[in-house]
Amino acid sequence: MTRALGWLAALGLLVGLAAGFLYAPREAVQGNVQRIMYLHVPSVLTAYLAFGLVLLGSIAYLATRRPGWDRLAGSAGEIGVLFTGLTIVSGSIWGKPTWGTWWTWDARLTSTAVLFLVYVGYLMLRSLIEDPDARARYAAVVGILGAVNIPIVHFSVKWWRALHQPSTILGPEPSPLAFPLKLALYVNIVAFVLLFSYLLSRRVEIARTEEETV
Amino acid sequence: MPDNWAYVFAAYGIAAVALFGYWRHLARRARALTQPRPAPKARPA
Repeated sequence: MTRALGWLAALGLLVGLAAGFLYAPREAVQGNVQRIMYLHVPSVLTAYLAFGLVLLGSIAYLATRRPGWDRLAGSAGEIGVLFTGLTIVSGSIWGKPTWGTWWTWDARLTSTAVLFLVYVGYLMLRSLIEDPDARARYAAVVGILGAVNIPIVHFSVKWWRALHQPSTILGPEPSPLAFPLKLALYVNIVAFVLLFSYLLSRRVEIARTEEETV
Repeated sequence: MPDNWAYVFAAYGIAAVALFGYWRHLARRARALTQPRPAPKARPA
């Protein structure tokens, strides 16, 4: 199952690259640098999905005390940090030619950096506590509290005056994207979700094997 | 606006390295778990 998911994710990423570089036309205002969107937006949506699973796993662990939920939360947190890091780096690289700066303390950028640091802290906490029950319990509390930041990141562009553009998708208004750009974006989002599912499946399996061998 | 291809390739290149690196990290960890552990050395009497 995991193997098939891996091949599907690889195929999805290839189709996504073709959609982003060959199918989608050059954007009229920004030029080809806009193609970073097909990496940046799927990365942040995948990070939201990962941290949503941390929240779900954390609540379910506190309710049931089943270690499987803690494994799901810990694994999703690790992969979420990876995709948040990609979001920040790709956004920074996109920002330099379009805004003239690698970084600015805009509400969206700052809240995303806080999101990244919260979940790095979550992973550090997990690595510092040896007792599995205490680790799962404390991590679950941080996993639930950390999720408060997800809507703040997403709606920051509406709540504060921001340099960052409004949400391309998942916003209250219809997406301003032309159809070919939107299609290429959706293909890449599907590819990233497949990749996330594959990495999560492998990471959870490793965590389960580690617990059995201890 | 100029095309800035260098920025595009830098973003995709860094993403490819990060994702491939994480995948390799998971593969190594899984392999280490499936390999049999060496038996502990017997203490001299």
